[in-house]
Amino acid sequence: MVVATENIPHRLRGRLALWLIEVRSGVYVGNYSVKVREMIWDQVAMGVEEGNAVMVWADQGDAGYNFRTIGQNRRIPKEMDGVKLISFLPDIS
Amino acid sequence: MLPHLKSIPLKERISLIFLERGELDVIDGAFVLVDVNGVRTQIPVGGVACLMLEPGTRVSHAAVTLAARVGCLLVWVGEAGVRLYSSGRPGGARSDRLLYQARLALDGPARQRVVERMYEIRFGDDVPTGYTVNQLRGMEGARVKRQYENLAKKYGVRWTGRRYDASSWGSGDVPNRCLSSATACLYGICEAAVLAAGYSPAIGFIHTGKPLSFVYDIADLFKFDLVAPEAFRVAARRPTDPEQEVRLACRDAFRKNRILNRIIPVIEDVLDAGGLDVPEPPEGSLPPAIPEEDIWGP
Repeated sequence: MVVATENIPHRLRGRLALWLIEVRSGVYVGNYSVKVREMIWDQVAMGVEEGNAVMVWADQGDAGYNFRTIGQNRRIPKEMDGVKLISFLPDIS
Repeated sequence: MLPHLKSIPLKERISLIFLERGELDVIDGAFVLVDVNGVRTQIPVGGVACLMLEPGTRVSHAAVTLAARVGCLLVWVGEAGVRLYSSGRPGGARSDRLLYQARLALDGPARQRVVERMYEIRFGDDVPTGYTVNQLRGMEGARVKRQYENLAKKYGVRWTGRRYDASSWGSGDVPNRCLSSATACLYGICEAAVLAAGYSPAIGFIHTGKPLSFVYDIADLFKFDLVAPEAFRVAARRPTDPEQEVRLACRDAFRKNRILNRIIPVIEDVLDAGGLDVPEPPEGSLPPAIPEEDIWGP
C-alpha cells in the first residue's frame, strides 16, 4: 500500500511513520492486512485537517489496485465505464 | 485530532531490527534514530515485533512510551545480541491467561502433558509415556547433541560440542558464536510472542527458575528446524562478520517460514495439551476500574 499526502500536519506525518516508510516527502509505503490498512486510513481521515491524501493498495479488481482520497486536490477520482481514473481540474486561481 | 494509537497483530510485523549507535527519540510523533551526525532515520516501530538495541544506543523516555503503546518489545543486547534487559508490553499480560499458565505449571499431571506435547513437537514423533520430566530431558539432551553433530556434518563444519562463555563474547569458536547469535534472535521474537499472547515469560514447563523460562521452552520448539541450520550454514562460509550474517539469515528464515504467524498458535497448542480450562473469574470479582482500551488480539 502507498499513501501520498500533501500539506498534512506534522503530527500525522509522524504518526504514519509508525507503520510506513516515508520514501519521498509525504509518500508512505507499507504492506498490511485490510484491517490494519483501514486503521491507518482512519488516522489519515482524522488527522488530515487542511491537507489532502490518497491511499493506493493492491486488490483483486480488473485494474489490480484501488485507491481512495480525502481532502481538496485538483486531481479527483473519476469513474469512466467502470474504470477508476483521475480527472485533473483546470486551474482557476 | 488523531485517533488512539493501537497495537497491530504480531503476525503482520517484521520480526526484528537491530539498532546501534544513536539516540532513539520521538519527533512529531514518529520513532526516530538520530546518529552522531544528526542523520535521522524513522523506525516504523508499529510494524516491528522487536527492536534489539545494541551498545551505543540511548533511548528517551518518550521513545520507550511510544514503543509500549504500539506494542513493540525493546530488548537491550550486549555485543552480538547477548541479552541484557528487555522491556515492553506487546499486548500486555492478561490475568486470565496468567492464571491459566500458572495453574498448568502447578498441576503435576497437566504440566507433564504440556512437557510431553513440547517434546512431541520438537521431535515430530510420539513421546513414550511414563517417563518423568527429568528422564525426558535426559533423552532429549542426547538427541540435541546428535542434531548438532548431524548439522555440522551436513554443512562441513568442524564441531567440538556446544561451548560458550556468556561473559566473554568472541571466545567461542565460529559455529558456537553463530549459534548464540541465532538463538538470541529467536529469543527476542519468542519473548515478544509470549507477551503478545498475554502469558508470562517466566513460568516455564521444561525450563524453570529463570526470568525467561517459558521463552526458552517456546524457542526450543523452533530452534532446530529453523535457526540452527542457518547458524551452521553461515559458519560453513567462513564469515567475516558471523553475527551479522547469522542475523540476516535468521530474519530471512523467519519471513520464509512465517514464524510470527506460527508462534502464538504453537503456544496455545502446547498449553492446550495440559487439558485444563482457562479459569473463570471468581464469584463477585470486580471488573477493572479503568476499562482496558480494546487491544487487537494477537
